[in-house]
Amino acid sequence: MSTHLQEPEELLPLTPAVFHVLLALAGGERHGYAIMQEVAESTEGRIKMGPGTLYGTIKRLLEARLIEESDERPDAELDDERRRYYRLTAVGEQVVRAEARRYADLVALARGKKLIGKTARAVMPGGYA
Amino acid sequence: MKNLPPRSFSVSWAVYERLLLAYPRAHRREYGPAMAQLFRDQCRDAWTDSQNWGLLKLWLRILPDLAATSILERLAGLKERKSMNDRLANLSGFRIAPAAVFFKLFALVFLLVFGASIVITCILPESYASTARVKVDPDPKGPLNSTATPESASNYDPYFIQTTFEILRSQVVLGPVIDQLQLNDVWGKKYNGGAPLKSAQSMEMLKARLDLAPIRNTSIASITVYSEDRDEAARIANAIAGSFRDYRVRSRVEASDRALQAMWDQYQNQEAQIQETTAGLDSLRQKYNIAIGATEPQSLREHPYWDKKRDLDTQLEFHKLLAAKIDAAKLDRETSLNSGTEIIDTAHPGNTPVRPNKPLNITLGALTGIFLASVVGGFFALIASWSGKRIPPAPAAS
Repeated sequence: MSTHLQEPEELLPLTPAVFHVLLALAGGERHGYAIMQEVAESTEGRIKMGPGTLYGTIKRLLEARLIEESDERPDAELDDERRRYYRLTAVGEQVVRAEARRYADLVALARGKKLIGKTARAVMPGGYA
Repeated sequence: MKNLPPRSFSVSWAVYERLLLAYPRAHRREYGPAMAQLFRDQCRDAWTDSQNWGLLKLWLRILPDLAATSILERLAGLKERKSMNDRLANLSGFRIAPAAVFFKLFALVFLLVFGASIVITCILPESYASTARVKVDPDPKGPLNSTATPESASNYDPYFIQTTFEILRSQVVLGPVIDQLQLNDVWGKKYNGGAPLKSAQSMEMLKARLDLAPIRNTSIASITVYSEDRDEAARIANAIAGSFRDYRVRSRVEASDRALQAMWDQYQNQEAQIQETTAGLDSLRQKYNIAIGATEPQSLREHPYWDKKRDLDTQLEFHKLLAAKIDAAKLDRETSLNSGTEIIDTAHPGNTPVRPNKPLNITLGALTGIFLASVVGGFFALIASWSGKRIPPAPAAS
C-alpha cells in the first residue's frame, strides 16, 4: 500500500475488510477486539474477522497512514492495558467517506434500475473468519 | 474466566501461538501478541456462546483465516523487499526510463574513463628511446676456427640470437655499463633520494629500460634504451653496444690466447725432440765415421744413422709448419678479432618522447570507456526497468 497518497479516490475501491475496519474506527478509536466486535455487530454476525485478517488489515492501514495507533491506554482495572488502540487519520476519514459515497452511488444506481427497493439493505460482499 | 475449563483454553492458546509461527518474523513480532490476545478473546466468546462446540466452530473459522493470511503476509514480505528496491531506486534517481538511464550512465562512465585515460596519459612522465644497432657475426674467423672443418664452420645455430640477447642482458655486459656510466650514483640521486643504488638495483632498472630486437633476416640486433633523459638513453644504448663488443673481443682474445699457448707449448716440445734427435744423429755419425755432407749411405751398417736422419727431417718439417701456423694465428688474432661484432649504428638522443604512447593510450581509454559504460549503463537500465514495474498502490488488505 503506497504511502504517497494524493487523492482518496486513488485507493478506491477498498476491500470489504478494509472498509469494515475503517467504518468501525469511524465511530472512535478502538482496539483489535473491539473492531472485530463492531464489525460482527454491524453485519449482524455475518462477518467475523479472524486475528490474521484483522491485524493484516490493520498493518496495511497503518502503512497507508489511513489509521494510526493511539497513545491512550485503558485503565488497567477496566481493560487489559496491553491492548493497542487505533483511530482514523484525516486521510483515512476522507478515504472511508469517499468509499461510502461510492457505495451510495452504486446503491442509487441499483435503485434507479429498480434492482432494490428503498428499504432494501445493501449487503457488501465478503465473509471473514 | 475462572469458570472456563482451563485445559480447553490452554491447549487452544498454545496451539494457536505455535501456529503463529506461520507468519513472517516481523509480522509476528509486531502483531503476534495482539493476535494471540484477540484469539483468547474469541475463545472466551465462543465458549460463552456454546462451550466446546463454540471452540470447535472458532477453530474451523480460524484455521483457514490463519492459512490464508499467513501466506498473504509471506507474499507481502516479498513485495516489501521489492518495494525497498523501488525506494532505493527512487533515492538514486533511477525512476526514469531505462533508455534514458542507459544513455546517461553510458555518457557519464565513458566520459569518466576516457577523461581519466587522457589525464593519466598526460601526467605520465615522458621517456625517450635511443637505439644502437650491432652486427653480430655468428661464426667469426679466428685462430680457433681456422682449424675447423667446413661442416662445423657452416653449422647453423638456431639459438644464436637468443644466446646473444641473453648475453646482452647479462652481468658481463651490463655490469661494465653501470660502472662506466656510474648509474648507481646517477640513478641514486634521481630515484633514491641521493643514496647510491646497489648494483643489483641498477641492473634491474637497466633491464627494465632495455629492449632488444633482432632485425629480420639479418644478423643485426637493435639495442633500444628508454629514459626520461634523452641523452642518457643514447649514452646507455651506446655503452651497452660497446660493452657487448668488448665482451665479444675479450672472450675471443682469451680463446685465441689459449689456442696460441697450446700451439706454442707443442712447438717447444717439438724443439726439444729435435735437439734430442740431432744429438743422437751426431753420435751415430761419429760412430760410423760418416762425413758431414754425406747424402747417401756407403754401407749397410750405416742404416741406423740414415733412419735417424729421416726422423729428424720429418720433425723439422712439422716444426716449420707449426711455426708458420703460429705466425698465421698471431696475424689472425690481430686482424680479425673485431670482425665478430660491429656497431653499425650508434644511438642518438631522440627528438620526441615515445612513452607514453598517447594515441594508443587514448584509444585504449576510449575502448575501455565504451565497454565499461555499456556494462554499467546496461546494468542500471535493467534495474530501472525492473524497478519501473511497480505494483500500483491498492489497499488490498486480505
